[in-house]
Amino acid sequence: MTHLERGVAQGPVPARAGIGLRSVHHEALLAERPAVGFIEAHTENYFHEGGAAVRALLRARAEYPLSLHGVGLGLGSVDGVDREHLARVKQAIARFEPELVSEHACWGRARGEHFNDLLPLPFTEEAARLLARHVSEAQDFLGRQLLIENVSAYVAFEHAPLSEWEFLAEVVARSGCALLLDVNNIFVNAHNLGSDARACIAGLPVGSVREFHVAGHARNGNVLIDDHGSQVCAEVWELLRLAVARFGPLPTLVEWDNDIPPLATLVAESRRADDILRERRGLAA
Amino acid sequence: MASLREVQESFAASLRDAAVSCAVLPPANLAIYRNNASHALRAALASTYPVVRRRVGEEYFRQLAAHYRLQYPSRSGDLHAYGRDFAGFLDAYLEGGEYRWLADLARLEWSHAECSVAAGRPAIAADALAVHSAAKLEQLVFRLQPSLRLHASAFPIFSVWELNQVEDAPPVDQSLANEQGMVLARHDGVEVRRIDAGPFSFLSALAGGATLGDAMSTADLDARALTDALAFVFRAGLVCSLNCCDS
Repeated sequence: MTHLERGVAQGPVPARAGIGLRSVHHEALLAERPAVGFIEAHTENYFHEGGAAVRALLRARAEYPLSLHGVGLGLGSVDGVDREHLARVKQAIARFEPELVSEHACWGRARGEHFNDLLPLPFTEEAARLLARHVSEAQDFLGRQLLIENVSAYVAFEHAPLSEWEFLAEVVARSGCALLLDVNNIFVNAHNLGSDARACIAGLPVGSVREFHVAGHARNGNVLIDDHGSQVCAEVWELLRLAVARFGPLPTLVEWDNDIPPLATLVAESRRADDILRERRGLAA
Repeated sequence: MASLREVQESFAASLRDAAVSCAVLPPANLAIYRNNASHALRAALASTYPVVRRRVGEEYFRQLAAHYRLQYPSRSGDLHAYGRDFAGFLDAYLEGGEYRWLADLARLEWSHAECSVAAGRPAIAADALAVHSAAKLEQLVFRLQPSLRLHASAFPIFSVWELNQVEDAPPVDQSLANEQGMVLARHDGVEVRRIDAGPFSFLSALAGGATLGDAMSTADLDARALTDALAFVFRAGLVCSLNCCDS
């Protein structure tokens, strides 16, 4: 039985724009209750029993659909799945009952040392099989489908016979996971590594993508840095339009994690994503 | 062709040491990952130890963070776990020098970080003692708040902590000496409180699992001071339950 057939794949998160929940916005979000489609929180920030962050998320969770977005599992690490970390993810899921649970197509540790970063995998059959095996293991343990997000990369590997979309499609086919397509990341990778962002959107199987991310990036010399520290650029909005045209309107998160603006600015940015999602819904109607 | 294990191990080696090469293109961009990792870990340490950072200044804190990471690499995908060994690291790094009090301050800040994500439990009031016969009272063991952390230092670490809740605080009065106190998760935040030596020794004995009778003799207080100390542990909401030793 696939995870989809268990009926736990997609909760009632509307195909609208959501915002990332950051601690500086906890108070404002609960006071102002802006009309956003959902909130997304970094799972690792809510691993503990108590504290202000947990109390804020419990309250916010009562008002909004929730996506828990993990940054610490590093499922592509050859050392295997970090079962202790995974158990804490499971506890967080039991407590906050998120509609969506996601992680990244990356690795993060070697010989017991964690780099606390989303490190890129080479796009090889071997890496796709290993990531798929670990995603399956995590899904079986959690009892639900994961959304796996494509990451930004600043380096490419000498041996990488697959394209990024072929790699991701292979992971989906082998594990039964869904994808969280980060449109900014494919834009950043196209610039940094010469991949083709439009081909990535055109290549991924329709039906495999369940959520979009958009974010701002920074330029450092000739390299684009995926810093989530500014507004989304016009090219990334355009790629989102293409993605919505192919995969349909889906929950779309505006990520803003550095130089975090007032909540109203973040909400305004999410309205721009809503406009693009609405264009598509308008076409369908 | 390198295996995925070889690829990840050579990438990791290159993250640890810029002199180690790794077969990626362009190699210069590995510096971005090196910077990301050191920045993330330093930021995590600074967020857990804001008062240590304020006292030593940004530049010296960066040095401490770099040395700490070499000795204590991150062992968790959860950054909140990073920095657990910082006080022990400072003990060795400062080698009993003039700034050795920073290690005690770091212990206090780690407790604060732990309590900031712990849950406070309901406390019982002193009248819970009334149901026990006089003979049983001495045999009672107090189950205290699980988040309670006790600290005693030869230095005025509680005063330093309190004064340095803002940037650019003046140095603490050098005439202040040893201090002791507690850190506790409350329902709505963390409480950091200095405690006088008498009630502190009584509380420490209770926290160590001593019976009420043993805690009273350990603390070496007169009757009046003992009554006050006992009233304090209840009034401060530290007692979750009372257990009879022989039950």
